[in-house]
Amino acid sequence: MSELKLKLILLFLLSFYTLKAQDAVSTAEQLIADIFEQYTAESEDVIDYETFYDELINFTENPININNSSREELEHLPFLSDNQIENILSYVYRFGSLKTIYELQLIDGLDMTDIRRMLPFISIGEGSGEKKKLYFQDLLKYGKNELYFRMDKGIETKEGYRFLPEDENIDETSSAAYLGNAVYNSLKYRFHYKDRVLFGITAEKDAGEQFWGTSNKGYDYYSAHVQLNDFGKFKTIVLGDFRANFGQGLVLRPEFGMGKSSYVLNVSPRNSGLKKYSSVDEYNFFRGGGVTFRLNEFNISAFYSNKMIDADTINGSFSSIYKTGLHRTTSDFDKKHTVNQQIVGGNITYTYSNFQLGFTAVHTLLDNKLEPEKSVYNYFYFSGIQQTTAGLHYRMRWQKLNLFGETAITGNGSMATLNGFSFSPVSKVSMVVLHRYFSPEYDTFYATAFSESSRINNETGFYMGVEIRPFSKWKFSAYADSYRFFWPKFGVDAPTLGTDYLLQVDFAFKRDVNMFWRFKSEEKPVNFTDAETTMPTIVSTRKSSLRYNLNYSFRNFSFKNVIEGNIYKKGDENISYGMTALQDLSYRFIDIPIKMDFRYQIFDAQNFENRFYTYEKDILYAFSIPMYYGLGSRYYLNFQYEINKNFSIWFKIAQTVYADDRETISSGNEEISGNRKTDVRCMLKWEF
Amino acid sequence: MKKLLSLFLLSQFCTLSSQVTNIIPTSTSIAQTSVADSHSWSAFNNPAMLGNLNQSELGFQLDNRCLLNELSTKSIQFAYSSELMNIGISYSYFGYSLYNEMIVGINLARNFSDKFSLGVQFNYFNSYFVASNTYKGAILPQIGLSVRFSPSFNIGFQTFNPLQTNIQAEYIVKRIPSVFSLGTEYFFAPEFVWRTQIDKEISSNYRFATGFDYQMLELIRIKLGFYGSDYLVPCLGLGFNSGRVKVDLNCELHPLLGLNTMVSLRYKFRK
Repeated sequence: MSELKLKLILLFLLSFYTLKAQDAVSTAEQLIADIFEQYTAESEDVIDYETFYDELINFTENPININNSSREELEHLPFLSDNQIENILSYVYRFGSLKTIYELQLIDGLDMTDIRRMLPFISIGEGSGEKKKLYFQDLLKYGKNELYFRMDKGIETKEGYRFLPEDENIDETSSAAYLGNAVYNSLKYRFHYKDRVLFGITAEKDAGEQFWGTSNKGYDYYSAHVQLNDFGKFKTIVLGDFRANFGQGLVLRPEFGMGKSSYVLNVSPRNSGLKKYSSVDEYNFFRGGGVTFRLNEFNISAFYSNKMIDADTINGSFSSIYKTGLHRTTSDFDKKHTVNQQIVGGNITYTYSNFQLGFTAVHTLLDNKLEPEKSVYNYFYFSGIQQTTAGLHYRMRWQKLNLFGETAITGNGSMATLNGFSFSPVSKVSMVVLHRYFSPEYDTFYATAFSESSRINNETGFYMGVEIRPFSKWKFSAYADSYRFFWPKFGVDAPTLGTDYLLQVDFAFKRDVNMFWRFKSEEKPVNFTDAETTMPTIVSTRKSSLRYNLNYSFRNFSFKNVIEGNIYKKGDENISYGMTALQDLSYRFIDIPIKMDFRYQIFDAQNFENRFYTYEKDILYAFSIPMYYGLGSRYYLNFQYEINKNFSIWFKIAQTVYADDRETISSGNEEISGNRKTDVRCMLKWEF
Repeated sequence: MKKLLSLFLLSQFCTLSSQVTNIIPTSTSIAQTSVADSHSWSAFNNPAMLGNLNQSELGFQLDNRCLLNELSTKSIQFAYSSELMNIGISYSYFGYSLYNEMIVGINLARNFSDKFSLGVQFNYFNSYFVASNTYKGAILPQIGLSVRFSPSFNIGFQTFNPLQTNIQAEYIVKRIPSVFSLGTEYFFAPEFVWRTQIDKEISSNYRFATGFDYQMLELIRIKLGFYGSDYLVPCLGLGFNSGRVKVDLNCELHPLLGLNTMVSLRYKFRK
C-alpha cells in the first residue's frame, strides 16, 4: 500500500471520530454490562440481555430528571434498591430540587459507587415533567433511525452440517441434519423519537436454519412493534410484538425478573406495564396490541395477543411447548407454529402516595390441548386448552418498611403467593426478607418471579438479604435462602430441601481500582443412581465457590483479573474441584475511535458439576456467559470501531482449546471433531 | 393419635434439630442469639446477662414446636436486682404426661463496672421415665461470661452442663445436653443491633446463628435472623415494649418440621 493511501485512510479515520460522545455511551454500555453480569453471575439460564440493554441505554439519551421523577421511573435503574429509591424521593420531597449532582452524596444509602452508576442515566433539571405535544414533523426531523446487521459463525464444522443441502448424497428429509448453513444472522431496524415513539422490525435466522430452500424462504423469525408513550390519556399504546409485566410476576412477567444475585436487596421485579418487544427470544412475548390509560390515580391496561407457538401436535393435543425457537431440522420444522395461543388480559393499578394496589387477570386459550405425558415430576403441570389466572399485588410503605407482594390463583383453585419487606434501619444497613409459596398445582404460562427454579410452582422458601456499608469504600452483601420442593422435580424423584448462601465483599479502593470477593455455597439434593438400588435414592450435593475479582485502569488501559475456585461434593463421594483464572485487557485508542478487549482464561474443572460460567465482553446487544469444564484455555478479541457518527462495527473472535484428552466437543448435531471451538461474530450499526 | 405424632416429632427433633435442648427454653433474642444479648436475660441461656439487669423482673414464656401442645416448653423466671449482685430463679417444663422433663435453676450474676459480667447457675434437672414409672434427676452447673470491648461491641460465652452429666435410669441413660456457646453483639446504632452466635452441643453439629434487632418505633421492635446447622432455619420476630411490660413473639420456620413459635411476657418492677 502506498504511503499516500495510508495517509488518506488515517485522515479518513481521524476526521470522523466523536470521542466525547463515544466516552459517555461506552461508559454507559460498560456499566450496563457490569450490572447485568452481577445479576446473572453464574446463571445457567439464557437471559434476554437485549431488552435489559435497550431500556437502560435509552436513558443515556433521555435521562431521568431526578427532581421530578416518580418511583416508577427510578425503578428502571436496576442497581438501585427499593430503600434507595425511597430515600431519593423522600429527599426531593423534603428539601426540594437538587441543585447539582454533588448533592446526591447527601442522600442516605447512596455511596459513590451507586452515584457513579447513576450518572449516565440521570439529570438534575427543572421543569414540571409534563410531556410536550407530539408533532409529526418533529418525528421526521428529530427521530432517530438505526439499522443493525449481525452475523455469527462457528469455524469448525459441526456434525449437523455434514449433510449440507448442496451435497448430492444428502437426504433433506433426514431429521438428523441441519437444513441451513452455519451462519447466524439478524437484521434489525429501530426508529425512536425520544422515548415517545418507538418502532422497529427484527428478522433473525439461527445457525442451522434454512434461509432459502424448500422448507423455508426468508428469515425464520420476524418481529415488529410500535409503541407510543404519553399520548393524551394513554400512557402507553403498543402494537405488534410486546410484553406485559405486572406485579411480582406470579401472573404475568414474560421477561427476566429479579432473582438471587449479588444485588442482594433487589428481589422485587421492576418495569411494570406494557412495552414493545424487539428481542429475538421466539417465545416469551405477545403478539397483538394493548393500551394503558390513566384515570386519576388508576392505571388501566388491557391487551390481546394471538400468536402461533411451537409444539409436537398429535390428534389435536401436544405434550409440551418448544420454546427454543430453533428450527434447524425437519423435525423442528414439523413443530413450528403448530398451535395457536390467544391471550387476553388486563391490569388495574391504584397508586396513592406510598400505597399501590393492583389486580391482574389473564386468560389463555389454545387451539390444541396441552396434555403433558404424565410422569411423577409433572403430575401437577397444567393440562387443558384454556386457563385463567388472576392475582392481587401490592406495595406500600409503613414507617421505614417497604412492604410488597402478590397473591395469585389459577382456574383450578391453586395458589401462589410471594410477600416481603425491605427496610433500612440505619443508613449503613439495608435488609430484605421475602417468603414465597407456590403450590404444586399452580402452573401458568408466562409467570416469572423470585424462585429457585425457573418454573413457578411446587416451591416454598424464605430469603433474607442484607447489605452493610460499615466503612467508606467497603460494602458487605449477603443472602441466605432456604427452600423446599413439596413434590418431585425433574431429575429429583422425591420432595427435597435446599439452601443457598452468598457473601460478597466489595472494596472500591480508588475511583479506578475496585475489587470484590464472592463466596457462594449451595446445597441441593439430586438423584443417586446406583445399579444396586431400584428405588430412587436422593443424596445431598454441595457446591461452594470463591471468586476474587480485581478491576483497575491506567490511562486508556483497563484491566480485570479474576481467580475462582470451587469444590463439589455429592453424598459420600470424593470432593471434586475446579479452578479458573483470567486476565482481561481493554484499550481505547486516543486518536481513533477504536476500542479493543482481549481476554486469556485458563480453566481446570474436574467434572461437569465443577463447571464455570464466566461473563465475557461481546458485540453490541450480545451477552456471553459461556460454560466450561475440563482442562483448557479460552481467549477472545473483541473489537469496536466507530467509523463515523453514523457507522459502527463490532467484531469478536473467540476460541476455546481443550487440553484434556477429549477428541470431540459437545454431542449430537452440535458435535465438533477435535479439541478446538472457534466462534466469530460481527455487527454493523448504521444510524441515520 | 396426636400423642403418637408428638412422640414421632420428638424423636425427629432429636435428629433433625441441631441441638438436643428441648428443655432449655429458647431466648427472646431472635434466632436464639442470646449469649451476647446484653439487653435481656433469658432463663437457662447465658447466666451472665442477669448481671446487666438493673430492675427486678418477672417473666413467663411459652415455646411451641410444630403447633403441637405436647411439644411445648413452659417456663417462668424471676430476677431480683441488688447492689451486690443479681439473683435469678427459673423453672422450665417440657412434655406431657407420658414424657416430661423439668429443670429449675438458681442464678447469681454481677456486672463488674460495665466492663464484664459473670454469672453462675445451679440447675436441677428431672425427667420422668415411663418404663419404670419413676423420676430421676441430676444437678448441672451453668457458667456465663460477657465482656464489653467497647460501648458498641460485646462478646458473650456460656456453657450449660459442661461436665456432661447424664441420668442413669433403670433401662436407659438419659442424655442431658451439654452446650457451649460463643457470640457477639454489635450496635450499629442504639436502636439497631446485630448478633451472631455459634453453639456446640457435644454430640451434635455446630449451630451458626445470626440475628438483627431493630427498635423501629418506641413501642415496636422488629427482629429477623436465621440459624443453620443441618438445615437453614429463618426466624422472624416482633417485640412490644409498653412501660414496664415487654412482650416478645418469635417464629422459626423449619423447612421440614414447620413452624416453631415463642411468646414471652416480662414485667419489670420499680427500682
